[in-house]
Amino acid sequence: MVSLANPKIESGGAAEWPAQPGAAALAWRDLVEGFARVWMWPVLALQDVRLRYRGSVLGPFWLTISMLLMVGGMGIVYSQLFGMEVRSYLPFLAVGLIVWQFLSGMITEGCETFLREATVIQQVRIPFSIHAYRGVFRNVIVLAHNLILVPFGIAIFSLPVGWHLLAVVPALVVLVINGLWISLLLGMISARFRDVPPIVASVLQALFFLTPVIWPLAALKEWRIIATANPFFAAVDVLRAPLIGVATADSSWPMLLAMTAIGCTVTFVAFARFRARIAYWI
Amino acid sequence: MVPSLRLRAVSVEFPIYSGGSRSLKKLLFNTTTQGNLARDARDRIMVQALTGVDLDIEHGDRLAIIGANGAGKSTLLKVLAGIYAPTHGRVYANGRVSALLTASVGLNPDATGRENIINRGMYMDVHPRQMRARIDEIAAFSELGYYIDMPVRTYSSGMMIRLCFAVATSLRPEILLMDEWLAAGDAAFLAKARQRMEDFVSGSSILVLASHSMALLREWCNRAILLDRGRIVAAGEVDEVEAAYAARHG
Repeated sequence: MVSLANPKIESGGAAEWPAQPGAAALAWRDLVEGFARVWMWPVLALQDVRLRYRGSVLGPFWLTISMLLMVGGMGIVYSQLFGMEVRSYLPFLAVGLIVWQFLSGMITEGCETFLREATVIQQVRIPFSIHAYRGVFRNVIVLAHNLILVPFGIAIFSLPVGWHLLAVVPALVVLVINGLWISLLLGMISARFRDVPPIVASVLQALFFLTPVIWPLAALKEWRIIATANPFFAAVDVLRAPLIGVATADSSWPMLLAMTAIGCTVTFVAFARFRARIAYWI
Repeated sequence: MVPSLRLRAVSVEFPIYSGGSRSLKKLLFNTTTQGNLARDARDRIMVQALTGVDLDIEHGDRLAIIGANGAGKSTLLKVLAGIYAPTHGRVYANGRVSALLTASVGLNPDATGRENIINRGMYMDVHPRQMRARIDEIAAFSELGYYIDMPVRTYSSGMMIRLCFAVATSLRPEILLMDEWLAAGDAAFLAKARQRMEDFVSGSSILVLASHSMALLREWCNRAILLDRGRIVAAGEVDEVEAAYAARHG
């Protein structure tokens, strides 16, 4: 075997071989440097949304319209089924569906975080976290298109307007943070195990019916634990409750914050451990 | 700082995940049953793609990587580009690296040529504003004409190669890594690319090129290494290494 190492560098140039940072430091640097390219991932996310709707007249507003149609149709039927007034049921359903779509979008696309960027990952070295920031921001853009409906809903159904609406801000921030760890974690797991995305999709479908989105929490009566133990209810509730002017369930914020803390910790450990393997898995 | 690439005792082991080991279901199932599935889920085949590679590439080097299929050429380029973290050993890269490893170079087929130029720039850490200033020059070199505003999926493979090459070299990287695919360009393109490379190599410094085309390597490179099953087995002038390659592989 031929060694092409230059002996001069090997011995004398120790300064050129800086100490190798640990895996945790590298993972942290990846997260920070990825975020610092704040001129990059929003542009890519916007482009993703634009490309998805290129050639359609309404563009991403198709999302808004399809949401409107779904809410209109379901609202009339289900308000009868649950014996609720359309006036109070429609805003509940609409906001619930919008928030659910945001969450499930972040989760299903989170599985594709690294897979869909396989060609980029195989070609250039950029912080892996960029793909997660991009995916989450893409879903925030879609959410923004749906949230356009909210002011109209508030006006039409004369929902209460006041300072309680400010609770939307921390709710969004916490949901986005959860979206990030989910994108990184599921992105890594899905890159390694290719059957994970369909598994996640079917679990999400089941959870949709287990979570009070189309049916109200009160309908559970003494079985409320089914919802309060469900982190998806907490996630939907913190954003939905202020928008439709009701109180957040007592369990929601503690549940969501616990999820955030556990999720971020587990993800960071996994990211530090497996970050360097992602390129091999893709 | 003078651009350089250094590898010390670099080894890359590659898991090839086949069928069962790609499945989480089988892996979980496997831990409880220990039956026939065990073999199925665990059949990871480890490929030793690179073994103990020591290499210093200095300013002004135009290094040819020669080797048979599967000798580790592409893996070595990916290690040099920082895409694969080596399983053992250390890599130290000093300088802005641009890697052209396949013709598609992360092109988004639905986006236009213009959008892809901006994207590629961003992937190279170049702000879209700076990149926009280069679009005309890139479009002119790659002879795209009206196609610059068409989705990349409508491009011929020649157009794609020209576009990628033009973008990668327009950024004036200090270290340019190129794989095989370059040889897929036609003679006119190669001549033009060569001219552009001359300008660029004189300004910057390191070129690493992997190819089977000896004519291309002889023309473009001033040093060569021969890879065989992941090890460097010969190094020196391109002609010498080519002779060593011919001796080994007839």
